[in-house]
Amino acid sequence: MTARTDPEGNETEALFALVDFNGAEVLEIGCGDGRLTWRYAERAAHVTAIEPFGGSIARAKERLRERHFPVEFRYANLEDFAADTDADLFDIALLSWSLC
Amino acid sequence: MEHEGMVHALEEIHRLLKPAGTLIEIHPSLEGPPLVEVWSNGGRSFSEEDPGFDYAGDLRQAEAAVASVVERGMFLLEDRRRFELRTHAESVEELRDHWEVAGAYDPEEMEETLVLRRDEMYARAHAAMEGAARPSEVVYVEPATMSRLTPSG
Repeated sequence: MTARTDPEGNETEALFALVDFNGAEVLEIGCGDGRLTWRYAERAAHVTAIEPFGGSIARAKERLRERHFPVEFRYANLEDFAADTDADLFDIALLSWSLC
Repeated sequence: MEHEGMVHALEEIHRLLKPAGTLIEIHPSLEGPPLVEVWSNGGRSFSEEDPGFDYAGDLRQAEAAVASVVERGMFLLEDRRRFELRTHAESVEELRDHWEVAGAYDPEEMEETLVLRRDEMYARAHAAMEGAARPSEVVYVEPATMSRLTPSG
């Protein structure tokens, strides 16, 4: 067994109460191992999930390997990603446990 | 990340978002430190604060950064929710392995006394599990805050 985070769905419930992911272009900053990504990605039109730690990205890809969700994982920090990205692209930005 | 870096990150996100977009910001709450709990048969037999909670200063800076961009009129804070993020494991070792793989609570970045107090707390949690009815589990409980902000400037 491995540890399970939020099997109660407390975080997901709060998230879905605050924002509608249906058809949205989403940027997730600091996606880690995709712990939260898989919970909402199915609803989105597309998810760009960035993470500066390669090991976490590998685990995130593994976690979502058999789910055919529209997620693109990028090995990048926000500063580098923003420098190469046009303005006004995303409907939702998700900053999950990453600001501090 | 320092306060200026947090504000800069929020500015970058503002630029990347569509004018009618939404920012969801989630961070651990300042309401209290995380708890380590042992549960079995629906009852809690152990609950202690995590002595490794040494990032209250970072959380204050994060809240100040969000307040700063709201005060400047860059974002409008529309709603805020509190919730508990609970991580369940079948053993203390499994829970600690989980944090190690996630890269959280790195002992090398923590004061030695905090590392020792944390080890002692986990030893007490392990003892509580040994004495608890089966099945038992150890749960890491983190109070958290989720905010919805929209670009306003």
